[in-house]
Amino acid sequence: MASQAVEIIQYRSLLRNLVAKDLKVRYKNSALGFVWSLLHPLLLMVVFTFVFTQLLDQDTPAFPVFVLTALLPWHWTSTAVTAGTASLVDNAPLINKVYFPRILLPISTVLSTGANYVLGLPALFLFMALFDRAFTPWLVFVPVLVVIQAIFLTAVVLILAPLNVYFRDTTVLVDVGLTAWFFMTPIFYSIEWVVPHLAAWMYRINPMAAIVSEYRVIMYSGGVPDPLFTGRTGVTALVLLAIGYLVFTRLNRNLGEHL
Amino acid sequence: MWRMAGTGDRGEIAVELRGVSRRFRLHHETRTSFQDWFVGLLRPRGKGEEFWALRDVSFTLRRGESLGVLGRNGAGKSTLLKLVTRVLEPTSGEIIVNGRTHAMLELGAGFHPELSGRDNVYLNGSIYGFSRRQMAERFDRIVQFAELERFIDTPVKHYSLGMFMRLGFSIAVHLDPDILVIDEVLSVGDAAFQRKGYQALRDLKARGTTILFVSHWPELVREFCDRAILLQDGRLIDNGPVDAVAAHYERMLQEQPTDAEILRLRAVDEAGTVLEAVPSGSDLRIEALLRVPPNGAEGLLLALDLYDREGTHLFGNTGRLADIMSHTSQGDAAAQRVQAVIRGLPVAPTTLTVAATLQRPSEAGLAVVDRQETEIEVFAPWSAQERGLLRLEHIWESEPGAAARRERTGPRVEIER
Repeated sequence: MASQAVEIIQYRSLLRNLVAKDLKVRYKNSALGFVWSLLHPLLLMVVFTFVFTQLLDQDTPAFPVFVLTALLPWHWTSTAVTAGTASLVDNAPLINKVYFPRILLPISTVLSTGANYVLGLPALFLFMALFDRAFTPWLVFVPVLVVIQAIFLTAVVLILAPLNVYFRDTTVLVDVGLTAWFFMTPIFYSIEWVVPHLAAWMYRINPMAAIVSEYRVIMYSGGVPDPLFTGRTGVTALVLLAIGYLVFTRLNRNLGEHL
Repeated sequence: MWRMAGTGDRGEIAVELRGVSRRFRLHHETRTSFQDWFVGLLRPRGKGEEFWALRDVSFTLRRGESLGVLGRNGAGKSTLLKLVTRVLEPTSGEIIVNGRTHAMLELGAGFHPELSGRDNVYLNGSIYGFSRRQMAERFDRIVQFAELERFIDTPVKHYSLGMFMRLGFSIAVHLDPDILVIDEVLSVGDAAFQRKGYQALRDLKARGTTILFVSHWPELVREFCDRAILLQDGRLIDNGPVDAVAAHYERMLQEQPTDAEILRLRAVDEAGTVLEAVPSGSDLRIEALLRVPPNGAEGLLLALDLYDREGTHLFGNTGRLADIMSHTSQGDAAAQRVQAVIRGLPVAPTTLTVAATLQRPSEAGLAVVDRQETEIEVFAPWSAQERGLLRLEHIWESEPGAAARRERTGPRVEIER
């Protein structure tokens, strides 16, 4: 395990290049390409705002900011999980020709979609300013949440990517699963609206619920994040990462034969 | 354990295989979806057919030495290379490799079409564990050797095949590997570049690079290698000075002439991804993987036939294999890839059966050498009420001659798309 960590450090330039490749291909080297990548969450923000404030007469103040604080990190999750699941199968020709630590492929998708998320945060700040939300010093806490989310997403894709090699319909199940997960995460609703004894379970089962709620506390409510709560989420993410790593190394062994 | 191999290190072991075996489960026996897995729970199948690509192979390769690997197609040469380069793990046995290995298995493997040549040089270098700085030092030499100064900032999707291969080859020879693994990639580009390529390999060899050279051309192995091993059906049957082993191999070839075969037939997209379904009206790309012995294409014919769900023969065409192969790129020598592209498949939704047949003219007519079939689902990308076997491009005109005028102004407008 230690030698593998050394190897990953040795190949760090590959990780950087894979991330850069993803971003360059996605944006096609143009600024408009980047705006395009924000289109999906922004469109959903418009739709949810219309549904909840116009059709349903919800009185949550600054609803666009309320929903965007959750939609942006969710967009990261859904793009990372989709791309991460496909990362090994998509790179089959390369895997069959050259040796390199294959674990870098799923990790790079988490990082490149994460870079996309971080680059999109200014759009959120813009809406925060437009709707007069408070910019508190606690914004410095956001990077901590980004790191926790990155660890959690890495854990998820380390399990799904090799699974997709053995069972090619994993992508189909992931697609369906993401839709269910979206509704089971407090994105277009607040965790406070959930029946209390179920809300506790939501936090326990779904790390995304905890992560999204923390983002919302900081960037929408202008409140103070709970370090103990965040710490628990972080530990959960690390435990999942260890499990994901073990699953990946286990399944990785016979990968070449199935690709 | 990375150390430059110099002449002073002669005698030290670069690669050692001890009793290495590799088993494969045949692909059609493996489950590749949850769906199959659930079905498998209800109806258990056998353990799956096994195939030993390599059996109990042992040899050593000393630093600075060059070893040729000879053997017929399917003898286990490619598997051996993949084991040495860590792409595959051995089922049993031990492989010891001292030094940085670089494989020229397929040139340009890992190039991304959307990225420029420059970006691809850095990306490709990092796949082999080279840092940005290490690649920057080599960058000018790589570009110069590949003769791509003018095009290095162009996305490689606009490169010709020759340019693509030249860049891949140039990167490979400039990474200064201790051990270079080559799988017949040298028929790259034009004759002038081939000479340059061979010269580059001779230089690497003179500088003490250990070379593992796989080929089924004994002449090439004689030219490049000091020693050779011979594989047959996954077993090592000879190991010694190159002339003796090459002679053994040539005798073997004369004793048992082989014939060509079709390894695989399937529909693919432009990137080579396998397709099970294509929309009607789109281009259908059919890929056949052929195993053709050296000079074995002479006199053979390759037929392509299309049938619909009812078995109606929709189309058929036969060409000389030698002509078809002359258009293919040199890749994996054990398997030749040929593609037939049917532009704008004019077939209504059906289950299309595509058959490829290798034939040889004989006194009694055409003898079938090998035949493979594959099924492709053709589906409708539009919602129109069209009928019949074919899907024909058509337009309605309200005014005779309007289409001709439209043609002058722009593309035709098709209804119901």
